[in-house]
Amino acid sequence: MARLAAGDSDALEEIYQATRVKLFGICFRILGDRKEAEDALQDVYVNLWQRADRYDPERASPISWLATFARNRAIDRLRTGKVRGGAVPVEEAAPLPDETPLADALLIDAERNAQIHTCLNTLDEKAQKYIRSAFFEGNTYAQLAEKADVPLGTMKSWIRRGLMRLRACLEASE
Amino acid sequence: MSGQDDLNPMEERDDKIVAAEYALGLLEGEELLTARGRLAHDATFADRKAWWDNWFAPWTDEMGAMEPSEEVWQRINSRVNAALDAPPSAVPFAGPVVNDLETSDTVVDLRSRIRRWQWTAGLTSAAAAVALAFAAFGPNTVPQTGTTETPQFAAADPLVASIPIGETQLRLGVTFLPDSDEMLVSASGLTADGVHDHELWLVPADGSELQSLGVVVPGEERKVELPADIARNMGDGVELVLTREPLGGKPDGEDAGPVVAQGALSQV
Repeated sequence: MARLAAGDSDALEEIYQATRVKLFGICFRILGDRKEAEDALQDVYVNLWQRADRYDPERASPISWLATFARNRAIDRLRTGKVRGGAVPVEEAAPLPDETPLADALLIDAERNAQIHTCLNTLDEKAQKYIRSAFFEGNTYAQLAEKADVPLGTMKSWIRRGLMRLRACLEASE
Repeated sequence: MSGQDDLNPMEERDDKIVAAEYALGLLEGEELLTARGRLAHDATFADRKAWWDNWFAPWTDEMGAMEPSEEVWQRINSRVNAALDAPPSAVPFAGPVVNDLETSDTVVDLRSRIRRWQWTAGLTSAAAAVALAFAAFGPNTVPQTGTTETPQFAAADPLVASIPIGETQLRLGVTFLPDSDEMLVSASGLTADGVHDHELWLVPADGSELQSLGVVVPGEERKVELPADIARNMGDGVELVLTREPLGGKPDGEDAGPVVAQGALSQV
């Protein structure tokens, strides 16, 4: 049992070493605060270790799943209201001096990234802007509507229409 | 904006769009609760969300990389080791007997999933290392038969239970959100017989007395906020039972009625 346990933390450490800079980049991007982002990161790996069985290889690659998981945990933390600052604008999330560059091996999929950009570009400008804002800043419909100073229903319409077109374009590319 | 832009947004979206909204994190309140519950109960919905996640995930490549401070790993490591050192919780079971068959099915299912996992490790360096490392520690996370994982690390992940009702195809769906202590009970499809009510109970893992989660309202989805003394007992693996009671629920001072259905919470 003790040996098994040791094997466990080794495996977790291996994953941590391989993925921490990417996942920390995600947490920081969403939370905009180093301490909060570190708490979120800790949360990600402890949860991962407890519930590795939640990962389903038929649905996603490990790195893609981990990135999604990290973003979701960061958003959960953002929504609990403890974080005041919220997401930082894109420019500020630029690498820190001590930062390791995102190695090619940690890029999820440049080809799919290019494809979703192509498809996104076919949408109305508003839909593009707010769909990206939802993803990168972790905004809800209500927050987006407030930012844009439009009724909630209008924001929902913009985004839903955009998502429908995005889906059609992505499906066509598969 | 034109009037066309404001067409009833509630009616024109389908499930695939709800899955996208959920994947992006746009939803709040009741809609969020419902989507979280569905993720656990509805494989098609889960597939749809995964489809979107896989398209959106490459966007994280644009989020930049950053080095966390070294103490983060130390904190993770000590949390993990603390959990490993803790003796497995022997749970005196106050409620109905655990369904051993079901438990071992789960174990088998997990093992086969882990095996598939190992098969997928043919990717590039980092991804492959991650997949292999996953496989290495995966099996030990399989819950041991007869024990229940202690909910001490219960994080923000929702807990869900899907309780089959008798011989019918119907299920009672329970979703609990630890961050807000909110519980959603979905009894859609169930009908009242006019003579009985059904009451939902939590079987605390520490063997203490059953706690009422309220009378189920047939055909409805009901959201309640649980008091702290009940909410703290909600955890992964914790059993829920449904009893048949007189209308209005178990009368004070009397024993609860017969258990007609049961299930366990699991973390999504």
